[in-house]
Amino acid sequence: MLTVFRSWPVLAGLLLLAACAEPRQELPVNTRLGGDFTLTDHHGQPFRLADQQGRVVLMFFGYTHCPDICPATLARVSQVYRNLREAGDADAVQPLFITFDPSRDTPAHLSEYVPWFKANVIGLTGSEAEIRAVAEQYGVVYLQSGDGAAEYDFTHSDYVYLLDQQGRVRKLYPSDFNIDEVTDDVQSLL
Amino acid sequence: MPPTLRVLRDALLGAGLLAGATSAPADDLTLDNAWLRAVPPVAPAMAGYFELYNRGNRSVRLDGAEVRFAGSAVLRETVVSKDGQRRERGLEEVRLDPGDRLRFRRGRRFLQLTALTDVPRAGQRVEVCLTFTNHGDLCADFEVRHSAP
Repeated sequence: MLTVFRSWPVLAGLLLLAACAEPRQELPVNTRLGGDFTLTDHHGQPFRLADQQGRVVLMFFGYTHCPDICPATLARVSQVYRNLREAGDADAVQPLFITFDPSRDTPAHLSEYVPWFKANVIGLTGSEAEIRAVAEQYGVVYLQSGDGAAEYDFTHSDYVYLLDQQGRVRKLYPSDFNIDEVTDDVQSLL
Repeated sequence: MPPTLRVLRDALLGAGLLAGATSAPADDLTLDNAWLRAVPPVAPAMAGYFELYNRGNRSVRLDGAEVRFAGSAVLRETVVSKDGQRRERGLEEVRLDPGDRLRFRRGRRFLQLTALTDVPRAGQRVEVCLTFTNHGDLCADFEVRHSAP
């Protein structure tokens, strides 16, 4: 390698190539989804999205009785957060977990559930109407199955949302997203 | 299957009195990559994943599992519709023909454990016994992990 770099023309060529590399595309703003909302956080306090202005938000809808997709997705979001923390960027990012199962996912239950992921996740709940309204804002579809049974689950969409510092939706990811991709996207907004 | 019936069935299988019992020795099934996803201690449910290979010469039918710390252990499947919605549904049983390799993995098929009396922590190994309608139980230690092995 040292031998190669002794040749200044080669080094200059490599630097020129790097300079000409295509710049990262700016993430587009999704104007069809999103908007401000107010729910209740896992401490039982009101949470307004607009109060997160200045921070990038990673947001996921789910429920704690979900055994497969939801904990796996929260674990992946947590890994993104840990990557950002190692890079010194965690303070500029806020993960949110919004339940669509408010009758079981109370603030008290969420306060024992979300801290386990060690990613500063804020758990959000509210009335069924409040949650339904937020879900509609973000195009989230969910339907309780089990018709009043004690044990029930949900049919649901499971995208993870990336919101910029103005609360605008910049990208949606499938729940099995690539951790490096999301980490890079978050950092591109910082 | 109720525990009493299972004990009876296992006794009959052991005595070779049920159809298929003699054709399904214990070493005809191979279980690999068995693990449980680590969840918070207050989690109401957790999921298990594994790969099951039928090396025998007869079909077997997996119908569930028995786990000491779970009141219920059922086979589930996640179905994704064209519009991207996910729906989970129960699987009564899953048939493995000779040579079949069945993968239970995230977002597809999984073993759902509910009514948890104890939530094992990451790093622990816990016994899970897969149950079959025409085969004796297949018990193995599942490692509790944060991600797939």
